[in-house]
Amino acid sequence: MATRTKIEWRLRFSGALICIGLLVEIITLFWTHPTIFLMYLIAGGSFLAVGILLYLLALIPSDKS
Amino acid sequence: MLPIIIVISIGLAIIITARPEITRNPGGKILAFLALFVLPSVSGVWGVAAHLEQSKKTVFCLSCHPMYEYGKSLLVDDAEFVPAVHYQNNFIPRDKACYTCHTDYTLYGDLNSKIRGLRHLMVFYSGNIPDTLQLYSPYNNRECLNCHSGMRKFEESSPHIETPMTRDSLSLNTLSCLSSGCHDVIHDVHNLDDVALYNDSL
Repeated sequence: MATRTKIEWRLRFSGALICIGLLVEIITLFWTHPTIFLMYLIAGGSFLAVGILLYLLALIPSDKS
Repeated sequence: MLPIIIVISIGLAIIITARPEITRNPGGKILAFLALFVLPSVSGVWGVAAHLEQSKKTVFCLSCHPMYEYGKSLLVDDAEFVPAVHYQNNFIPRDKACYTCHTDYTLYGDLNSKIRGLRHLMVFYSGNIPDTLQLYSPYNNRECLNCHSGMRKFEESSPHIETPMTRDSLSLNTLSCLSSGCHDVIHDVHNLDDVALYNDSL
């Protein structure tokens, strides 16, 4: 297996966070309760936002990677 | 449609997570852009919209225990109960009964409703739920007139046109529809124990 670069590790981590965020989203989508709405916003939203942000940061060229 | 997009997004994100080295070629880069930016962004925004739409539903409002009696008041077999008459005769959409009357028909009415909803949640989880739930501000005639204004039954009803002043007072909210002794039986949740119900289920 080829050695993974720093960017690839970031992409991996970003993908994992996005997966968790999307799983929270799909689970909460089938429930109708105010708490579920908050759970989606706080938990799902955070995972998705951090995952996307990490992906965007991975795109920024770095001298070390 | 949204669940399908989410499932596709999850599938693609798993591929990138398991094999990040595919992003070394241009096709993989495009796939990563779709999987880690485009689809999650679309799913996230669409999810918020879907949840906001869900939050307008009657079952959403009544899913909290303190609201049970308010739901029951929609089923009372008594034409004096304003919410019951509206609900049972489909004057308001049954699946959005609470929202239809308790949103502000203003530019930021939807937003204000959501902010109020968050305050309700804070009160609910703080455990300081008042025995009698009260509106943050007196009920505005604007919400009634949003539907009733121009309606023949309303405009020709003698109490509403008793004097030209009456109609103006209603429009200006100086004479309340609900607290001027005309339509004053609203949810009345403390007196629902012995009332007959039109139907047992919402």
